[in-house]
Amino acid sequence: MVRVMARTLAEATRRVLGSRRRDTRSPAASPSADAGDAALVADLEAAIGADRVRADAAARYLASRDASIYREGNAGPVCYPGSTADVVACVQVATRHGRAVSPRGAGTGLAGGAAPLGQPVVLSTTRMDNLIEIDLDNGVAWVQPGMVNLDLSRALAPHGVHYAPDPSSQAACTIGGNVANNSGGPHCLAYGVTSAHVLAVEVVLSDASVVTLGDLTAEPAGYDLRGAFVGSEGMCGIATAVAVRLTPNPPAVRTMLLCFDDVSDAAATVTAIIADGIVPAAIEMMDQRCVTAVEDFAQAGYPKDAAAVLLVEVDGAAGGVAIAGERIAAIARRNQAISVRTAADDDERARLWKGRKSAFGAVANVMPDYYLHDTVVPRTRLVEVLESIYEIVDRHDLLVLNVFHAGDGNLHPILAYDSRVPGADERVHAAGREIIEMSLDMGGALTGEHGIGVEKREYMSRMFSEVDLDQQARLRASFDPHCRMNPGKVLPSAHSCSDIGALRASDAAGVWG
Amino acid sequence: MDLGLNDDELVACVSCGLCLPHCPTFVITGRDTESPRGRIALMRAVQNEDAPVTDDLIRSMETCVQCRGCETACPSAVPFGHLMEGTRAALAGAGRITPRWQRLALKGLRHRWLLMAGSTLLALAIRLRLVPTRRLGLPARMPLRRPPLRTSGNDVWLFTGCVMDAWQRDVHLAVQRVLEAAGVGVEPTGAAAPCCGALHIHAGLESETKDMAHRVMAGLSGDDRPILVDAAGCGAALKDYGHLLGTDEARAFSARVYDVHEWLAGHLDELRSRHPVAPLDLTVAVQDPCHLRHVQRAHQAVPEVLAPFVTRVVALDDDGLCCGAGGAYSVMEAELSRAIRERKTAAVARSGASVVASANPGCSLHLAATGLDVRHPLELVDQALSSSRA
Repeated sequence: MVRVMARTLAEATRRVLGSRRRDTRSPAASPSADAGDAALVADLEAAIGADRVRADAAARYLASRDASIYREGNAGPVCYPGSTADVVACVQVATRHGRAVSPRGAGTGLAGGAAPLGQPVVLSTTRMDNLIEIDLDNGVAWVQPGMVNLDLSRALAPHGVHYAPDPSSQAACTIGGNVANNSGGPHCLAYGVTSAHVLAVEVVLSDASVVTLGDLTAEPAGYDLRGAFVGSEGMCGIATAVAVRLTPNPPAVRTMLLCFDDVSDAAATVTAIIADGIVPAAIEMMDQRCVTAVEDFAQAGYPKDAAAVLLVEVDGAAGGVAIAGERIAAIARRNQAISVRTAADDDERARLWKGRKSAFGAVANVMPDYYLHDTVVPRTRLVEVLESIYEIVDRHDLLVLNVFHAGDGNLHPILAYDSRVPGADERVHAAGREIIEMSLDMGGALTGEHGIGVEKREYMSRMFSEVDLDQQARLRASFDPHCRMNPGKVLPSAHSCSDIGALRASDAAGVWG
Repeated sequence: MDLGLNDDELVACVSCGLCLPHCPTFVITGRDTESPRGRIALMRAVQNEDAPVTDDLIRSMETCVQCRGCETACPSAVPFGHLMEGTRAALAGAGRITPRWQRLALKGLRHRWLLMAGSTLLALAIRLRLVPTRRLGLPARMPLRRPPLRTSGNDVWLFTGCVMDAWQRDVHLAVQRVLEAAGVGVEPTGAAAPCCGALHIHAGLESETKDMAHRVMAGLSGDDRPILVDAAGCGAALKDYGHLLGTDEARAFSARVYDVHEWLAGHLDELRSRHPVAPLDLTVAVQDPCHLRHVQRAHQAVPEVLAPFVTRVVALDDDGLCCGAGGAYSVMEAELSRAIRERKTAAVARSGASVVASANPGCSLHLAATGLDVRHPLELVDQALSSSRA
């Protein structure tokens, strides 16, 4: 499929060559991508300023993709609004021209959620990256959606607080994207995922009205529309400001690296730790292949000869942390850990986490492409699930690197492959499908934190009944009755907007043509 | 268009986006076209998918500072610098980038007498206020006369280069005094090695750079003395000759090259035992030149060498984000370059330092143009040594 797509793109590309030469010295200028868009682009430029709109093929090509392997996105003009008012203006112009709108943060998503379908106006939030207000008394900060997750925690650091959800991509991903995907992260085991940390969201709806969902009180009245919005993948409106909960920094932290000769010993340790009543801030597992890839980049001192490692972190008051640390070490030894190491200082701790959080990128040290799933399985069945994954992958003659949030059973099997090898794409998709089906059969869920996007859309019917899906479509329609917000995502096509067919047809043209 | 890039290097990027916050142009513009990930995707589109080389695509490549901050951030070890150099070489070869006047100016760097005479003329013009220095990003004052280079021994070479030798010979002399204080005999390379070619390879002039590399290697052959470099950009270029030329001889040459701080960090005891020093009463912020931090990865030697000689050394809190100088970049892409610089000057202000130490002449000129007091780290060491002696 990727190959066919590449050919289409190349074909389209050739056609467009030469038809749009222009002055090289005006990076911000943006003539229309094609004649049909000229009026749209002119209106967008008039609404928010010419330097905030790009409609050339290079900009659209890059706005058509995220960090997933999905490559059928097709962006229309790309806007870089600086304020809620700019977003409102863009939505109004798009509506006037009968075009949809797709939001985009840093484009680090792994399910194609930010890949625009049907040449919508893309609203990039990268220029809305300010911290609006910190209210320490109430433990809340208002931030713009384009603020990078890690930048937020850094800005909060002098106040002794942080923003708890910490996706692996936190150095690059945005709060708006986190809200859209209800993102998790290693520390969500103890602290909860994004929805537990977002108190209110200012949203521009598809009719360009601005509403605030949720409020800052502990028990808001009425239906929890904020809860419905978080995780809606841009299909219910565009977040333009987010009120996030501030979490006090723990007084003490202990980070431990537990190494095992056998993956099942590691999995048994995870179960035993939770059963013991300890709630670690994080329990992460990596298998040997993953550790090797990561260690080559981060040089964090991960042992390449262990079959599996657990990165366990406990935090809280110093006394409690020390006790929990000792109990965890004892449990690990009881489960045949070959070594138990505690990070000596912040530096060592940071290195261990850097290794863990660069796992996806580090895959390229093994193979040039990867396809990632994000299923959640009951923690007690981890060993069984892992054995099945290895079996499936072996049968399809592929490589798998396992890195996952072991504490909550959220798997990230990384299928590493080289798409240049004939048949590799097909084998990867077949193995991916089997892994998903096996996870669901084990009583699991389709996604833990990466979202459905377009990549996992087709699996929704496997997880939800027709009635469920219809109700989800109705919920979405109550926010966006005309399917103008990030259309074509999450819901299988039979349940989503009626204009999907038309969107698909226009995609075939590709951005260069 | 075939960009001639190594396909394995090109496909190594998995689009994870961890480079984004480390790219100075993405941080300023927020646009994927000005990001490492985006630039790589466009290179791929051109090389593998036959995408047209549009003017916008060329802008995307031209706006790259080539700081290589993305490389140290990349978990996939994508050799972005080589990809960008290859892309620029292909674009320059097709006449799509690097205008004729720039090629001519770069040619001048190879001719030492021309460079020296031109620099003196420029210095004179600046004194007569005939040149809008601020707008062109030039120093407000340049030396009319240069004290001669002198040889004090043959333990090491001190690479003097082109523009730096013409504009900042004082720095070379200070570096030489520091090395001599450590008991090392120094021979400046002077005319033996006129220019390293860093600016040329950045501009995509690959064959010129190779010629220059051969000339430098020939000038410094005949022994295996260490070649010490006090300009991070030149050091990075000399260390890359092995890759550029791909010969054993070039690799052996590159292995002899050290950033002067890197080398001194291994000889700090000699320096300190010979000369008990009273540190200068200064708070100094260390600016890490990208070609020291991201390319040579030797930036930690600077604070190490500096620490005994000033009262306080502070690190900047910006993760080593580029200052926007980028060799000729500050002239070619003045607007972006200045926007990037503003973030660096803000970081300096936050640090509370009164002096900035920069181990690269391009960065130092670029930052000094904002009115900051910028010195080469070894100028400060030299000052501490000489005031202790007095």
